[in-house]
Amino acid sequence: MSLTIDRIPPIRNTFALRRKRARSKRPTALGDTFSTLMLGLPALIAFALLWEIAPRAGWINALFFPPLSQVLSVLWEMIVSGHLANHIGISLQRASIGFSLAVVVAVPLGFLMGRYPFFEKSSDFLVQTLRNTSQFALLPVFILVLGIGEASKIAITFYAAVFFLLINTIVGVKSVDPLLVKAARSMGTSDWDLFKKVIFPSAIPSIVAGARLGVKTSLFSVIAAEMLAAQSGIGYLIQNSSLMLETDRMYAGILTLTIIGLVLNYLLVAGERRATHWHGTGESGPN
Amino acid sequence: MERIAVSALRKTFTLKPGQTVTVDGVTSDRIAVLDGVDLTIDSGEFITVVGPSGSGKSVLLDVIAGLTEATSGVARIDGIEVSKPQTRTAYVFQQYALFPWRTALQNVEYALEVRGVATAERRDKARHFLHLFGLKGFEDRFPSQLSGGMQQRVAIARALSTDPQVLLMDEPFAALDAQTRDILQSELLRIWEQIKTTVVFVTHSIDEAIYLADRVVVMTARPASIKEIVAIDLPRPRDLDIRNSAAFNAYRGRVWESLRDEVGKAQRDWALASSYAN
Repeated sequence: MSLTIDRIPPIRNTFALRRKRARSKRPTALGDTFSTLMLGLPALIAFALLWEIAPRAGWINALFFPPLSQVLSVLWEMIVSGHLANHIGISLQRASIGFSLAVVVAVPLGFLMGRYPFFEKSSDFLVQTLRNTSQFALLPVFILVLGIGEASKIAITFYAAVFFLLINTIVGVKSVDPLLVKAARSMGTSDWDLFKKVIFPSAIPSIVAGARLGVKTSLFSVIAAEMLAAQSGIGYLIQNSSLMLETDRMYAGILTLTIIGLVLNYLLVAGERRATHWHGTGESGPN
Repeated sequence: MERIAVSALRKTFTLKPGQTVTVDGVTSDRIAVLDGVDLTIDSGEFITVVGPSGSGKSVLLDVIAGLTEATSGVARIDGIEVSKPQTRTAYVFQQYALFPWRTALQNVEYALEVRGVATAERRDKARHFLHLFGLKGFEDRFPSQLSGGMQQRVAIARALSTDPQVLLMDEPFAALDAQTRDILQSELLRIWEQIKTTVVFVTHSIDEAIYLADRVVVMTARPASIKEIVAIDLPRPRDLDIRNSAAFNAYRGRVWESLRDEVGKAQRDWALASSYAN
């Protein structure tokens, strides 16, 4: 008997690959974080000093670049007056409503598309087209259709986050180890339990990674929307100060945004680590 | 008492679009894996199945497990035809198939959980089976924090937690190092002698097959049927040293004799396949 195989399909295990990568990215001990901070601090201090000295020494125009101390004192005033908290609250509220809507829409849809090839094939082209249309380009459309109120700002944050979540949910669902599905089936797992107890948990790391990207773009998109058409929010604060040539206030707004971004990123990374804590610590037991 | 009855079992796979095989000059998009398997297994029997790589041993287990439909013929458990996974059957895989996001204890609980067993009861039961396999103190470890041998112990504990009447094992120790393998074989026998469930155990290792089995089933190269069934008349409980006995040696020679031609056939098959694949 002779046997030939014309085409052998490539064997891929994206799950294993992803796991490996996630593991190598794992942050090291606290001591390392501290030393990274110490190494990075001089550059940050130098930048702050330059910002302070350059306008005072007249190297750059103080009207466009007010000294850091002046920016910080305006920032402090805005914190004390509660003015800043108000703007932050509004921006975060818009971003979180849009983002939450994106989760509600993208995760179930991603499950369907990841699990049933028909859904994916029939919607893939549309998704790819929409995904490559910038949310910023669509802002005028949102404003035309939804008005300059809250709805258009929520729409842009939704649009910004939904594709990250959708794509990562699809990837997560598709990368479920077929052996785990087989094992679950052999134990008499029902379709619903298979979804809840096998596919969902194994897709979580990917969904959370998508959420991390989605949250940031949601926030940045709401800022852009607020710059164009709003009466409140960090974006409005920055844009309005710039128009009034209150540059110290403008930089205070930008700085606030930076700090929010940093804190958010830290929280999201921590959340991601929590969601994938079972990926292992490299510690192994005896045989 | 007869527990498993497989009769005239055939399984043919249809290849993916664009793939074909050429067998004896005939090109086809189908590949025959099982070609009329007949096997009857008694209740409480320990059966091992050996055969060349790719001979469809795993497919046979999948059909008995109700995970794959036979092309023709039937598999029956206690006289009832298997068409979907049965609650009285448990399956252990070579790659453990533990849920990485669940601890050892939660993994063992899983099988009971999907059967709707109450939390307290299934936790007690899971703990009992982990302890049975010497995993006391490792209940809260994730699979990634356990060695291969320990992971497979967890998987076997999970399989046994539901008191299965049929335990299917697909090369469960093939990924382990030699010492761990020896230890797990002995542990499995020790526990099996207490519970006396019916076991169908697929392996590549002739020694493993003889050491564990009441009967060794030798499969032919693909498309597979049963070539020979060798009854192993060695006293139980068995000690690992039994592998050095004259009787064991005789069985080893006999099983190898039966297997040799089939392995040769399978190798020629694959050599040819790979020479065309490139």
